[in-house]
Amino acid sequence: MKREETLYKNLDWSLLIVLFLLLIMGVATVYSAAYNEKHPNLFDFSQKYGKQVLWVIFSCFLGFLVFLIDSSIYRKFAIPIYIFCILLLVIVLFMPSVNGAHAWLGIGNLGIQPAEFTKIGTAIALGSYLNKWNPKMQNSKTVIISNLILLVPMGLILLQPDAGTFVVFTSFLFVLYREGVTYDPLILSFVNLLPKVKFKETWIGTHFIPISFVLIVLSLTTLVLSRNLISLPFFPNVFISGVWGVIVFLFLLSLIFLWILRRISAKRERKKVNIIVLLGFILCCSLSITVNYGFESLASHQKERIELFLGLKEDPDGEDYNRNRAMAAVGSGALTGKGYKNASVASVEANHVPESETDFIFCPFAEEWGFVGSALLIALYLFLLLRIIFLAERQKSTFNRVYAYCTAMILFYHFAINIGMNIGFAPVIGIPLPFFSYGGSSLMSFTVMVFILLKLDSQRNDMLI
Amino acid sequence: MLSNNRKYIIQFFIILVGVIYFFRLLYMQVIDESWALRAQEIAEKRKLITPPRGVMYDRNGIKIVSNKTYYNLMMVEAEIKYLDTNKLAKLLGWTPQQVKNRFYELRKGEGTYYNKHTHKRTSNYQKVRPYAFVKELSPEEIIRIVPHLDDFPGFYEEVTDMRTYPYPNGANILGYCAEVTQEEINKDKFYRPGDNIGRTGVEKVYENELRGKKGVHYIVTSALNNAIEPYAGGKFDTTAKQGPELRLGVDIELQVFGEELMQNKRGSITAIEPQTGEILAMVSAPSYDPNKFIGKRNITENYPKLINDPDKPLYPRPLAAEYPPGSSLKLVQALIGLQEGVITVKSGFPCNKAMVGCHNHPMATDIIKAVQYSCNPYFYYTVRRIIHKGRNKNFYRDAELGLNVWAEYMNSFGLGTKFETDIFGLRAGLIPNSKFYDKWYGHHTWAFSTIRSISIGQGEVKITPLQMANIVAIIANRGWYYTPHFVKKIGEDKAKIEFLKKHKTMVEAIHFDPIIEGMRRVVNEAGGTGSKARMKDIVVCGKTGTVQNSQGEDHSVFIAFAPMDNPKIAISVIVENAGWGGSWAAPIAQLMIEKYLKREIENKLKAQTIKETNLLNVKKKKDKYTIH
Repeated sequence: MKREETLYKNLDWSLLIVLFLLLIMGVATVYSAAYNEKHPNLFDFSQKYGKQVLWVIFSCFLGFLVFLIDSSIYRKFAIPIYIFCILLLVIVLFMPSVNGAHAWLGIGNLGIQPAEFTKIGTAIALGSYLNKWNPKMQNSKTVIISNLILLVPMGLILLQPDAGTFVVFTSFLFVLYREGVTYDPLILSFVNLLPKVKFKETWIGTHFIPISFVLIVLSLTTLVLSRNLISLPFFPNVFISGVWGVIVFLFLLSLIFLWILRRISAKRERKKVNIIVLLGFILCCSLSITVNYGFESLASHQKERIELFLGLKEDPDGEDYNRNRAMAAVGSGALTGKGYKNASVASVEANHVPESETDFIFCPFAEEWGFVGSALLIALYLFLLLRIIFLAERQKSTFNRVYAYCTAMILFYHFAINIGMNIGFAPVIGIPLPFFSYGGSSLMSFTVMVFILLKLDSQRNDMLI
Repeated sequence: MLSNNRKYIIQFFIILVGVIYFFRLLYMQVIDESWALRAQEIAEKRKLITPPRGVMYDRNGIKIVSNKTYYNLMMVEAEIKYLDTNKLAKLLGWTPQQVKNRFYELRKGEGTYYNKHTHKRTSNYQKVRPYAFVKELSPEEIIRIVPHLDDFPGFYEEVTDMRTYPYPNGANILGYCAEVTQEEINKDKFYRPGDNIGRTGVEKVYENELRGKKGVHYIVTSALNNAIEPYAGGKFDTTAKQGPELRLGVDIELQVFGEELMQNKRGSITAIEPQTGEILAMVSAPSYDPNKFIGKRNITENYPKLINDPDKPLYPRPLAAEYPPGSSLKLVQALIGLQEGVITVKSGFPCNKAMVGCHNHPMATDIIKAVQYSCNPYFYYTVRRIIHKGRNKNFYRDAELGLNVWAEYMNSFGLGTKFETDIFGLRAGLIPNSKFYDKWYGHHTWAFSTIRSISIGQGEVKITPLQMANIVAIIANRGWYYTPHFVKKIGEDKAKIEFLKKHKTMVEAIHFDPIIEGMRRVVNEAGGTGSKARMKDIVVCGKTGTVQNSQGEDHSVFIAFAPMDNPKIAISVIVENAGWGGSWAAPIAQLMIEKYLKREIENKLKAQTIKETNLLNVKKKKDKYTIH
C-alpha cells in the first residue's frame, strides 16, 4: 500500500499525460494512414491500427509492470541486462534478413528488433558505469570504457545493417558530454608528444561532442546551400548563394552567440568569450570553404552519391521520390490542414507517400492537421524533452540522471531526424517517430524507457548514493 | 558550474531544433505555396474540360464559324497488355513502322518537357498517363475504328472540338487555329499541350474571348494514377463555359460575291460601312478555303502548298499590301489644299505637263474638274503650295515645316499610322515626313521639287487598301471616321470601346462638297474615267487610280462610295496588273455596291464575265506613263 501511495504522490503526472496524449494521437494517425474501408473497426486486429492498439495496450501493461518493480533492480542487474542485449544483437545477425537487414528476431509474424531494446540496456549500463566514476578523475580509461559501452552495440547494429539506429546511438555521446567526460586525456596524449608542449587541459576536449556535431551539421549545410540559391523565408526577393551565404549566416549566428554568452558569463570571462566566438567563427568559415572546394574536387560519381544523400539532385520521381512526396504532403496541409482522414497525398488509397504509417507518419498528420497541428506536435515533443531534462537534473543519483539524459537524447534524435526528413532537413534514414509510428518494438521500447524513467524519478528520494 | 553550462547547451540544442522546425513548417505549410501546388500535381488530378470555342455570325445573323466534333484516339501504355502492331497499322491505314515511330515520338517528344532548372528536355512520360495516339479523327474515320478497339486494350476514343466553316470564304478575315506551342504554354497557364489557339485573324485577336472558360473536374488520384474519388465531393469543380458568340460586321454574302469576282486575280476588295467603321467585306485574292486549315493533320498537309504558292494566298493583301496610292490620294491633297487655304474651289491651274506628265483632258478650271480629270499638274501645284506656304524664309526650312504639316493632315486621315483595331497583321503604310527625307537625302537638302512625286500619290507614299477604303469613308462622312473593325458585338456586349470613338480629320466638313461633286462626275458624267461604275438609280461617287508597278502591268484601282446622299458603303478595289483604274476595278466596285445595296445583280452577264476573267498571268507591259 505504502509503495503505491508514494508512486502516486511522486509520479510526474505532466510527463505521463503528455506521453498518453502522444500515444492517442499516434493511434489516431495510424488509423487514418492505414485505413482500410473493408475493416473500418479501430479494434480490428487484422489491420495495422488494430495491431497498434494492441501494442499500445501491451506497452502500457509493461509500463504498469515497471511501476511494480523496485527501480534499484536496474542498477543491480545493469551488466547482465547489457550483456543480454549484446547477445541478442549477435544472435539477430544469424537470422534471415528482412528487407535486406538482419534486424528481426522472432517466430512467424511476431518479431522484435533487439536494437530497440539495446537502447535501454545501453542507457542502464552507461548509468551504472558513470555512477561509480568520479568526474574529477579524468583519465584515458574513463573515456575509453564509456565509449566502448556505446561502440560495441553500435558496431553490431552497423553489421545488420541499420544505419538509422546507428546514428541514433550517437545521441549517447551527448550524455557523456553532460556528465563531463572529457576527451582531453586522449587529445593531450597526442598533443603533448609535440616538443615543448605541455597542456593540462584543452577546451576542445571538453566540448568535443557538440563541436564535432556542429561542424558536421555545418559541413552538410554548406554543401546544400552552396549548390542552391536559397530564398530566405519572409524575405521573398532576397537570395543568398554559395559559401558566401553560409558565411553571412555564420556571422549573424556568431553575433547572436556573442550577445548570449556575454550576458550569461562572468565579467572576467568576457575576453575569453570574445576570443572563443572569434576563433569559432574563423574555424567555421574555413571549414565551410574547405568542405565546398573539397567537394568540388571529388570525382563525379562520388559527388553524385553525396548529392543524392543530401537531396541536392533534382529527381523528384526517382531517387528523391519519398522525400519529394513527403514534403508535398506536409506542405499541402496549409494552416489548418485538410481535416482528419482527408489527406490526399499521404492517404493510404493514394499511397503517394510510401511508409506513411511508419517512418513517414508525420506526413498524414501534418497534411490532415496543417500547421496548427504540426506546431502543436512540435510543442508537445519539446515539452516532453525539456521535462525529461528537468527530471534528469533533479535526480540525486548519477545513475538516474544518466538514464534520464539517455532517454531525452534518444527521443530527441528520433524526433529531430524523423520530422527533419519529412520537411527536407534530414536525409531519409528510416527511424520511427516515438509513440507515433506503427511498429511494436519501437513503441514498446520508447514507452518502457519512459516508464522506467518515471519509476526512477518517483523513487529518487529512496536511494541516496 | 561547468556541467550546468553543459545542461544549458543541450537544452539550447533541443530548443533550437524545435524553433527551426517550427519556422520551417510555418514556411512550408503557410507561406510558401509551391509544396501545395506540388501536392496538387501529385494527387489532385485536375481534369480540364475545354469548351468549344465561341462561334461567329455575320452582320445578318448567318453563322460563319462554328464547331464540329472530332475524335482523338487515346492510348495508355500501362493498359496495353498485348499489341498487334500490324493489325493496328492496318486499322489506322498506316505502315507498322509508322506505328512504332508514333510510340517513339510520344515517349521522346510529346512526353517530355523543358526543365527550367537543368535547361534540358526531361521526360515526364508516364505509362499510366493517357496520350493522344492519333489526333483529330473525323466522325467518319472514328466510326471505322471504334468497333475494332476491343482488340486493342489501352486504346480508346476521346471527343474534341474543332472549327468548321459553313462558307469556304473569309479565311483572311477569320484566321485559323492551331495547336499551342510550348512558348505559348509557358506564357499563359490557360493552355495545355494539345490545346488550340487562334493563330491569325479574328481567331487570334479575340482569342481571350473565344476560348471561353475551362471547366475543372478535380479528382484524387493514387500513386498508380487511378482516380479514387471526386476531390472534396466535387465542391471545387467548375463547369466549362463556351466563349461568347461574336457578331461580325461582315456581310458574308457580299464577301462570297467579292471572292467570286476576284477569283483568278490578284488584288483586294475592302468595303466599309462609313457610319460605323464596320468592315462589310474584305477580299484578299487569291484566297483559300478556311476548312483547309482545321487541325494539325490538315494544316501540316495544306500549309506548305499555300505558303509556296507564287500568288501568295496566305498574304492578307487588304491590310498588309502597301501600294503607292496613285490618284486616289489626290482627293486628300485637294482637301488639305482647301483647308490650308492655298487653293479655293475656284482655283485653276494649267495642265502644262512641265513637271509631271498628264494625259489629254479639258482644262481643270476649278477643283471639281481637277478631281474629275485627275489632272496631275493641278495637284503638283496644289501640293507645292501646301508645302511651300512661306512658313519660313529659308527655302529648305520652309519645305521641312510644310511637309510636316502635310504629313500631320495625312495622319489625321488614318494614313501612315496603324489603326488600333481588331485586325491582325495590319500595316501602317508610309507617309514620309521631314525626318524621313532628312535620313534619305540629308538635312535641309531637299525641297518640294525633290519630293514632288508624292503630290500624285507616287514615290515614297504607301497606303494599304484598307486605308484607301477608309479615305472614301471619311469623304462620305465629310470629315470623320470610326476605326475600321470586324467585330460589332461580343456576346451581349457592344464592340470594344475604342471602336465607338469618332476620329475627326483636320479638314472641315465644308471642304468635302466639291470633292464629292468631282467624284460624282468621275462616274456619272460622260467621258468620266469611272463610267463603268455607273448605276441607273443609285448615285455612285468614285475615283479611278492607276498604280505604276515596276514588276509589271499597272494595278487597277477604284475607290467609291454610294449612295451619294446617304452613304451606306465605302469601297476600295485593287486588281493587280489589270491596267488602268476604270478597266477592272470600277466594274467590280459597282457590282459590289449593287450586291450590298440591292442584294441582287441586274446585269448577271457582267458579273459572269468578270468572274471568268483570269488576270493572273498578265504579261509585263512596256514602260508607259499615264495617270488617270
